[in-house]
Amino acid sequence: MESSMYDYDAIVIGGGHAGIEASLAISRMGFSTLMITQSLDAIGRLSCNPAIGGLAKGNLVREIDALGGEMARLIDSTMIQFRILNRRRGPAVQAYRAQADKFSYSRLAKETLEREANLELFMDTAVDIICENGRAIGVVTERGWKIFSRVIVLTTGTFMSGKIFIGEYEHQSGRLGEEAAIGLGDALRDKGFNVGRMKTGTPARVKKSSLDFSRLEIQDGDEEMRPFSFLSEKIERPSLRCYVTYTNEKTHQIIRDNIKYSPLYGGKIVGKGPRYCPSIEDKVVRFPDRERHQIFVEPEGVGTEEMYLNGLSSSLPERVQHEFIRTLPGLERAEIMRPAYAVEYDYLDPLDLKQSLESKILENLFIAGQTNGTSGYEEAAAQGIMAGINAALRLQGKEPFVLRRSDAYIGVLIDDLTTKGTKEPYRMFTSRAEYRLVLRNDNADSRLTPLSPLASKERREALERKCEHMEEIKELLKARKERGKNGLELLREPEVTISSLCIAGMEAFSAEEKEEVELDLKYDGYLKRQEREIARFEKNESVEIPQDFDYDKVDGLSQESREKFKSVRPRSVGQAGRISGVRVSDIAVLQVALRGVRNVR
Amino acid sequence: MATYETDERIYALSTAYYPSALAIIRVSGDGCVESLSQIFSGKKKLLESGSNTLLHGYLSDTSGKKIDEVVLAVYRKGHGYTSEEAVEITMHGSLPLIQKLSLTLEEIGFRKALPGEFTYRAFMHGRMDLTEAEAVEEIVSAKSEMAARSALSRLSGSLSSVILSMKEKLVDILSSLEVQLDYAEDEILEDWVYPEEEVMGIISSIDRLLSTYDSARMYSQGAMVVLAGATNAGKSSFFNALLKENRAIVSAKEGTTRDYIEAGCVIRGLPIRLFDTAGLRNAGEEIEAEGIERSKSLMREADLVIYISDGSDENLPVEDERTMIVYSKLDEGRKGHPLEFSSVTGEGIGEILDEVERRLLGSSASESDVSIESQRQKEGLSECREILLESLKVRDSSVDIMALSFQSAIRSLSSLIGEVSSDEILDNLFSKFCLGK
Repeated sequence: MESSMYDYDAIVIGGGHAGIEASLAISRMGFSTLMITQSLDAIGRLSCNPAIGGLAKGNLVREIDALGGEMARLIDSTMIQFRILNRRRGPAVQAYRAQADKFSYSRLAKETLEREANLELFMDTAVDIICENGRAIGVVTERGWKIFSRVIVLTTGTFMSGKIFIGEYEHQSGRLGEEAAIGLGDALRDKGFNVGRMKTGTPARVKKSSLDFSRLEIQDGDEEMRPFSFLSEKIERPSLRCYVTYTNEKTHQIIRDNIKYSPLYGGKIVGKGPRYCPSIEDKVVRFPDRERHQIFVEPEGVGTEEMYLNGLSSSLPERVQHEFIRTLPGLERAEIMRPAYAVEYDYLDPLDLKQSLESKILENLFIAGQTNGTSGYEEAAAQGIMAGINAALRLQGKEPFVLRRSDAYIGVLIDDLTTKGTKEPYRMFTSRAEYRLVLRNDNADSRLTPLSPLASKERREALERKCEHMEEIKELLKARKERGKNGLELLREPEVTISSLCIAGMEAFSAEEKEEVELDLKYDGYLKRQEREIARFEKNESVEIPQDFDYDKVDGLSQESREKFKSVRPRSVGQAGRISGVRVSDIAVLQVALRGVRNVR
Repeated sequence: MATYETDERIYALSTAYYPSALAIIRVSGDGCVESLSQIFSGKKKLLESGSNTLLHGYLSDTSGKKIDEVVLAVYRKGHGYTSEEAVEITMHGSLPLIQKLSLTLEEIGFRKALPGEFTYRAFMHGRMDLTEAEAVEEIVSAKSEMAARSALSRLSGSLSSVILSMKEKLVDILSSLEVQLDYAEDEILEDWVYPEEEVMGIISSIDRLLSTYDSARMYSQGAMVVLAGATNAGKSSFFNALLKENRAIVSAKEGTTRDYIEAGCVIRGLPIRLFDTAGLRNAGEEIEAEGIERSKSLMREADLVIYISDGSDENLPVEDERTMIVYSKLDEGRKGHPLEFSSVTGEGIGEILDEVERRLLGSSASESDVSIESQRQKEGLSECREILLESLKVRDSSVDIMALSFQSAIRSLSSLIGEVSSDEILDNLFSKFCLGK
């Protein structure tokens, strides 16, 4: 069954959020691509919460879109509720969040892939990577196929040696009801990859008609649905309600009484779970003084009775789940349709990645998503698109595309992973970004579309139009006079907005365009300060370190820092300085040594 | 910056190249003990010596001829100033002997150190952070005992630790903001409250540090004191009396015209640049007029103007913090002013010096205070202070803006303790060091 050399330009392993973006990026950049997935029915599945976006994550989605990705368009067409979070807390930290209709989301994802001319889909399981002279050249599948390609993108999610836990029950699955991918993790271990275990979890789904809505608080979406994509038109879709309820002392007592049955506390799960998204048993144990925990009840879609209990993830036995869920107001007669469970899986140490997401261990192998120790659909998709673009650039023989921390949240994400690694599932947070006044969700297109090798002509033109419109808005403002000031000056006053100025002709522009102009003007002083800080930051980022730089020849480096430099292989002095535990003096030594290198060259 | 290597053995004369009782030559670098043992009388003793030991013996040239009787202070790797293997050689301060030993050291493989190289090595080996490295530079060039003491306390990291504790408080405040940014309004319902008390506390710590700058600068650079008064009021005799009484004269040079004379001296531990100006009176001669103009400009720049009057002036200046009036010719009879003196008998001069010291130091300086002395530190702290004051003014802004302010404030402090160091700071710092320090 051997095929001739190179059946495809690229193979993407996995059809989750990272795999979708990677395969679309490569095929859209003109290369023949094969996506191998364990289940065609599970493409783009939202395995956990039925929502896209949120704080910092919403910015990621818009950035993916600005680069030419798909996630924003998928959610724009399938959202069933929309909200702008943290409106009150300021423009830099506002984010879009939408509830998704899970079923139409993944169906649309599959349809989008099927429509792509250069892309083929194939259902099988990758069990090994074929290597030659330190390069990845193909994939071996469970059914015995050997398929060859010039580049490979690995996006295994929670499937590599995945194992789910519900109390005593455990099974080799990547998701409840879906078989794990066995073999690949061990094969990579044998090739010298640093494989570790991580853990995550998901709550139970309960039947809508079994809930008492009179006892639940209502949480409506915003009246206006905003598109995530810079290319989407206005969204007119029906909005569904979410609900809020709370745990209580009784809930906590049941959990405490049964904690011994938890595989987490019983030591069966060795993988490290996320601190920011703890299971309910974690919350109860770690915060014994809290009288209650907030639980969101969210619809999984339009055509389903399943409701997602956000905040109640657990790996306790099902009978215990039944018992404690029914202590929550409104959930007294709740019927569990799917139980909560924990999943433990193999991940690959992201310190073994270059900033292009190419493996340092195997050339031409790019890795993205949960495989790199992250969590979240948006984080996965962000890496997927970057891995895809970089794989395509490799095929084109071009230099990698790397975003800086000052360019995008995506830059922060990948820089953190490849510089500091991660010990728990990495989630994007607003606080991880230093320059968030610049990295807003409204200007992602201005920041990234011009840089992206993937952005289409249509997208570039849309950006040009938007910029022209913003200029026109400024012209209108300039012409508006009041109290001896023009509109641009007036907008600096806190209570003045474009709409409060009532300028004729403004209705021709979109709310987004007007808001962006408003923000740029209102925060002008702060933006300038941030830009100065960025300039300072970029100075060290632009001092590049040759990839073949010999750290052993640099005298005066501490042994610890030397080892860290050798393992991370930072691209720049700036990145070197962010490696945890590296001393200032070692950075100084490095700078001096690099100056020597530059002088020689 | 010159290209420093840290794997070579280097030497330098650490004391002044001037005939004196004793001189110290410092050598540093891996293998320096073994090299030195080739020319030391107690070879075995030296090779076996532990860290921080003193050895007495003779150093010879390569032909075996004795150069001088010496004491060696041995520092093994990880100890001593540079944290490298190092030896301090104390010898007799005779110039030919110093030359002879230097030559011999070069013959056995030592290289003459570049300016600042010892401190550079100490920094590279993680022995000190940036403020500490700057402090060394200041000890070296410190003009007075007090400046040296202040630099010494900084060397032990006390300025770093004061700044670090401010930074930690700011990090705490920032964290309380970040929580609000990382979680949605419906997850964290409590609003953020501006921590006024903490911020005011940090601002007043910064103020305390900033207030040490002027007095600290006076200690390290010298205060400018200008003597003024009418011709023949007794300025020059006061000037000479001061210089006579205070032996630590550094230099005295005469002005090119008759406009002023400058001298350096130390009064009550304070280094002072003393200026004797031309008499202030309406002059017909052009050259005299020029001199008077220059005197006036000196007075404007001065930290303190001492106006000397013999009691016959009609237009005395107004007395303020920067201007004091003293009366001369006490020996000719008391005039009934608080500050009178006689250059002939020396009577009253001590009281005047007390007053000079009081005025120059103001109320801010105290010996135990941690102080700042470099322009860079002053700028960093001022920037932080300004950002914090600004944040107070806009305290009702949204939390993203508040977070931005505290982020910037932290960054301005980080650049002081060297956590974020750019090429230039390092360049600047190391090129300023004297040879051998």
